[in-house]
Amino acid sequence: MTGSTAASVFPFRRVCPFDPPPELAAGPLVPVRLWNGRRAWVVTRHAEIRAILMDDARFSGRMGDPHFPTVTEARVTVDRNERAFVGMDNPDHDRYRRLFTREFSVRRMQALIPEMHAIADRLIDAMLATGPPADLIAAFAIKYPSLVVSRLFGSPYEDHTFIIDCAAARHGLKQTPQEAEVKARALAAYVRRLIDEKEANPTDDMLSRVIAEQVLPGHLSRDDFAEIGAMILRAGHDTTTNMIGMGTLLLLRDPGLKAQLTADPAGIEGAVEELLRYVSPVQFSPRRVALADVDIGGVTVKKGEGLFLSLPAANRDAGVFADPDRIDIGRDNRELMTFSHGIHQCLGQMLARFELRVAYAKLLERLPGLRLAVPLEEIRFKDDMQIYGVHNLPVAW
Amino acid sequence: MSAIVRADRGRCIGAGQCVRVAPDVFDQDEKEGLVVVVTKQPQGEALEHARHAERLCPAQAIQVHAEPIQTKGDTP
Repeated sequence: MTGSTAASVFPFRRVCPFDPPPELAAGPLVPVRLWNGRRAWVVTRHAEIRAILMDDARFSGRMGDPHFPTVTEARVTVDRNERAFVGMDNPDHDRYRRLFTREFSVRRMQALIPEMHAIADRLIDAMLATGPPADLIAAFAIKYPSLVVSRLFGSPYEDHTFIIDCAAARHGLKQTPQEAEVKARALAAYVRRLIDEKEANPTDDMLSRVIAEQVLPGHLSRDDFAEIGAMILRAGHDTTTNMIGMGTLLLLRDPGLKAQLTADPAGIEGAVEELLRYVSPVQFSPRRVALADVDIGGVTVKKGEGLFLSLPAANRDAGVFADPDRIDIGRDNRELMTFSHGIHQCLGQMLARFELRVAYAKLLERLPGLRLAVPLEEIRFKDDMQIYGVHNLPVAW
Repeated sequence: MSAIVRADRGRCIGAGQCVRVAPDVFDQDEKEGLVVVVTKQPQGEALEHARHAERLCPAQAIQVHAEPIQTKGDTP
């Protein structure tokens, strides 16, 4: 890797809690040093990120590759041991993913909307019964997506603390490799137990359907399903929690924005897309390894070098989104990068979209006086996590 | 202006973005959740939606080919 400037240590720190770190303004490819001293690239421009994600011939997403870059030492273990299709290239990736595409179709996710309304209402009822103030994260943002995904998947809601704890061990920036791997195995073992239970006593949920349609006919092993199930449970929790937390915080800090959305509930779809763009909680994935020397963004990426594709940076690319640091709920967000692009694009993106549309609309409708109960300085941002958001959001109404 | 829409189910990963932005042109089948083209020759707004879907498709499974206007009586 050539270049006279010393490579900065990645990940970078945020200066403003609402914007990506200033180092991501450089690009299109920024050379960095990782936790282990290895060199890697961070890709920060929309066009290059999109091109890499569409170029599976030259950029691999196989997590078992010893060159696959990791943001912490803990991620090395869980990534090398990743057995779900998130860590595979084609043809294996598509073969596994297509066993689940029916479960996550637009129609199937849309059918959950009444359940999402009911869940949101029950949580808000509980908040109203207890009275203000409340921590919106504990009272709503954590519980809501957990209840939705447990209903969809078929896992008992009571296990949500355990599931979130396992997810945090992978998504934190401070875990040891042992902690991360123990929790990854624990979550997969837990799903494996659920599979055995549902096989004996099927109910109306994804677990039971996939057992009947894929496992029993021999298309999918129970162990493989356990790994994929663990991935689904992990992915369905803190991403949405963080979007609800950060999105609500942004609405509460900008009375004009809140008023705009309250006045025009039909604008909720566009508002969700814009909040997804602006918040972009997944910070340090996707990642790729170059399978050949590639000239891109004015540099030569050498075979074997690792790349972090910065979705938050892509979402603030001024060449694609005019005045990108401004929240504009009327913006055309067809170039949204929050869910990534290419074959690994988020499996749950329609679930996430519907969940968020219902959540923000419900909070505004049923808690019209919703406001921050503390100054901004008392909000703890997730600088310690790979998936960004807020740890707390004390509110009153 | 007319156009022919093609969708390659061999590339499709069931993301549903085509359905999200162009429900007048695309659907997902019940069995696998993979793309189905319901309007093969969209026009006007539906054509715009189809082009949007082509850009969005994460698997590059959709192609919208501009075609000369068919005269009456032609079928694709």
